[in-house]
Amino acid sequence: MQPRINRHLGGLLDTPSDEGVALAPLRPGSGMPPELNGTEWARFLLYSAAGIEHALMVQYLFAAYSLGGPDVPEARRDAVRRWQEDVLGIAKEEMAHMITVQNLLTLLGGPLNFDREDYPFDSGFYPFPFRLEGASPASIAAYVCAESPATWSGPEADAIRGAAHAGGAAPINSVGILYDELLKVVADETVVPDDAFHADSERFQASWSEWGRGYEDGARGTAPGGALHVPVPELLILTATNRETAVTALQQVGDQGEGAEQPEAVEESHFERFREIYRAMTDPAIGDPDRLRRDVGANPTPDEAPPGSTAITHPVARQWAHLFNLRYRMLLIDITHAYELTGGAEEPVNPRGAMINRAFGEMYNLRAIAGQLVVLPAGTDPSGKCAGPPFDMPYTLKLPASQRARWRLHRDLVDTSLRLGEALRQDVTGSGEAYLVALAEVDRRDREDLDLLVTRAQA
Amino acid sequence: MIRELRILPPLVIARFGGATTPMDNYEAKVDPEHPLAYRRLEPATTFEVNRTTGEITGMFEPPTLQFTQDGLVRPIAPFLELWALTEDDVLEPATLEMLAAEGATAESISWTVEAANLKVFRRTRDALDQVTAKVAAFSDHTPQPLVGTCDHFWPGATIPFGDVQYIKPTPEHPEIRLRITPAAGLVYGSSDTPPGPGRPTDPNLAAVVYNATEGIWRGYTEEGERFQTIPVQLFAGVTEEGSDVQISWGYLDDACDGIVRAALTTDQAMHSASARFATGPPTYVPDAFPIRAVADELEQALRGPHVDSAEPEQVEEIVRRAFESVRLMNTAYLNIAGPGAPVTARSLTDSVALERLHQSLFVALRSGTAPWFSDALREWDQVRDRSETGRKRMPAMMRGADGALMALTRRQVNHVRAQAHGPIFEDPQ
Repeated sequence: MQPRINRHLGGLLDTPSDEGVALAPLRPGSGMPPELNGTEWARFLLYSAAGIEHALMVQYLFAAYSLGGPDVPEARRDAVRRWQEDVLGIAKEEMAHMITVQNLLTLLGGPLNFDREDYPFDSGFYPFPFRLEGASPASIAAYVCAESPATWSGPEADAIRGAAHAGGAAPINSVGILYDELLKVVADETVVPDDAFHADSERFQASWSEWGRGYEDGARGTAPGGALHVPVPELLILTATNRETAVTALQQVGDQGEGAEQPEAVEESHFERFREIYRAMTDPAIGDPDRLRRDVGANPTPDEAPPGSTAITHPVARQWAHLFNLRYRMLLIDITHAYELTGGAEEPVNPRGAMINRAFGEMYNLRAIAGQLVVLPAGTDPSGKCAGPPFDMPYTLKLPASQRARWRLHRDLVDTSLRLGEALRQDVTGSGEAYLVALAEVDRRDREDLDLLVTRAQA
Repeated sequence: MIRELRILPPLVIARFGGATTPMDNYEAKVDPEHPLAYRRLEPATTFEVNRTTGEITGMFEPPTLQFTQDGLVRPIAPFLELWALTEDDVLEPATLEMLAAEGATAESISWTVEAANLKVFRRTRDALDQVTAKVAAFSDHTPQPLVGTCDHFWPGATIPFGDVQYIKPTPEHPEIRLRITPAAGLVYGSSDTPPGPGRPTDPNLAAVVYNATEGIWRGYTEEGERFQTIPVQLFAGVTEEGSDVQISWGYLDDACDGIVRAALTTDQAMHSASARFATGPPTYVPDAFPIRAVADELEQALRGPHVDSAEPEQVEEIVRRAFESVRLMNTAYLNIAGPGAPVTARSLTDSVALERLHQSLFVALRSGTAPWFSDALREWDQVRDRSETGRKRMPAMMRGADGALMALTRRQVNHVRAQAHGPIFEDPQ
């Protein structure tokens, strides 16, 4: 439970959030809590937004990785593969939203937040209960609702909301309500004064040129004849130096989720793309939608499994799951560390650039290991649920105080990866083994670099 | 019975070297335990050839690989082999025994070789600038020099292109072979007066051969030229201050390419076959391959641009060659070279970091993950798109042979696309 978050939400919730009550509908336009001033309220909302974007991203990733499997009819495989790439694209865009939110936190002098809720879900501010589950009409419907504009209504809206609530959960809040509140707060100079915006923080902010990987304005394709004919993600990684640019950034992030008034923006919005997938998935011609994904267990974990989660007990899957969690932690540490290293996008060759490249390498690792997990059983019964990427949060995301200790932390994580990989390699063959051999080589080289960094860093 | 003859391989590439002993045979292999390391160079079976008799006197596997000898590069001197398509529809090496069955001997094979260096002619389009060499039909086993002559050379001046030697088949090595030994890789110059004895004063030159009072090569420029090469101005020369017009120094080199023909005349029939050869610079990085090579072009020409089914190892090979190339590039400079904005943020273009990023991508592909970057590949008809978008496509920061942005062959791109659907529908193991 996170009372330290929930207790500030009273002004926004229709009903108070109690222990055990997962959600209540957000009431937009409410006042800020008494213990926070305007700037702090903006920071709090951004802090929450960061956690939400992170949670959405991993849930979308999980759903995307679950798509596929040998039961998908041949005639549907192109479509399923397109949906997978589309949802992965939306996840990338959520990552970009999270980065933009971190930039705004930096602008307002707030603490960065790469944390998010784990299962079981705790906060009253999330659009729906955090749940890693395979892509189904119900889960896709939940995502549609989470990204929907506040004005969305009509018979289809009612039907999709009903499908999303099939599990009996509370009404799903729209992410847009949070961003609407944030926009009002940040735009209001009587709430957040001008001197709260630190223009000189820009060199600490993440830039699109460093993190965008070319995903902008269709720059990464898809050319006609491209493999999957899927809209290319548009990563909105926006920096800000003042109120005006902060408001613009929030508007753009909100528009990408819900879709603005312009038709072309609506078409590419998360809301619309999820809605299209929902429509396709529930088309009677598609057949049984359960055949379109692997039967992955919800909220998988290699550790003690709380109620509602899936214990990964299969010995090989369990080792892969631990490796996944470790590389996930390495990714989050790389991103956190990158933010704390100075040096802008146009400075040649600096540690920040190296850390960003490491982060992208970890994203590739997560994709690879998730691919191994979804084809393995979660338990010892091969006909039971499949395992899946657990995305368990590490015990901390805090970095040590000194630079040397930080490089030591990276080195410790690499050492752990070498140990886990070596053990796992005794039990796998084929593509899994080929991957582990190559991963070990990368880790060994990384370790050599980190030894140098530890030696050279100041204590 | 011999139905037809072939010379295999149909194309060989010899590589310059000034040393007297050709380079030993080797293979460049990926170490399965170290897939990201430089390819392992492994000595392979090598023929020892007596240059005087032309006989293969032995075979050996060198204990180590030495690329130079007494400070000079050892040339790559490839062999061409004569093969026969028999009446049983079998393609096999021609041997003494096979010839004997036709009533023929080793001396029944005659070889002719034509070679040329047309680089100057290509620019001046003056036929008298062609440097050509011919070896008339021969059946003996002594080295036959390839002597390049040109109507615009000074009297008696020539450029040696190397030599060819008909390897004498023996009972131990009865196959029919021709060996091509390339030139040393030297540069030759031009003058207004006949060259004197001794080395030229220009330290770049092995000798002066070209008569600049008869030919226009020295001082040549492409200004106003309709039939420029792509890229333009690919010759040694100088540009004057304030101008971008290259003025030729009148240099020539000892590269060549040519055609080898073999003819067999028996009482029953006449058969012939031909093959091509080319010479080029030494392989200074033998343990890494470029991302796009002549072999890729030939494969596309042979098998077409389309790929029937996914071949994951092909995609892995492309990515491996990508990080092998990045390893050799000054990416920090290339990122900002040329007009327009940098290809990517300067902070990200350290070549070590980029190499590691490509290796991480490669590692992920080894798990069987479908390549997600197929949409980022440059199409063949986008090589002149130098917009910011165009320059960011992959491969980035690389130039094709035509000076435009590099694109993989269509077949390579289609390999990546075929794999893009990936194994997500496979049965679990």
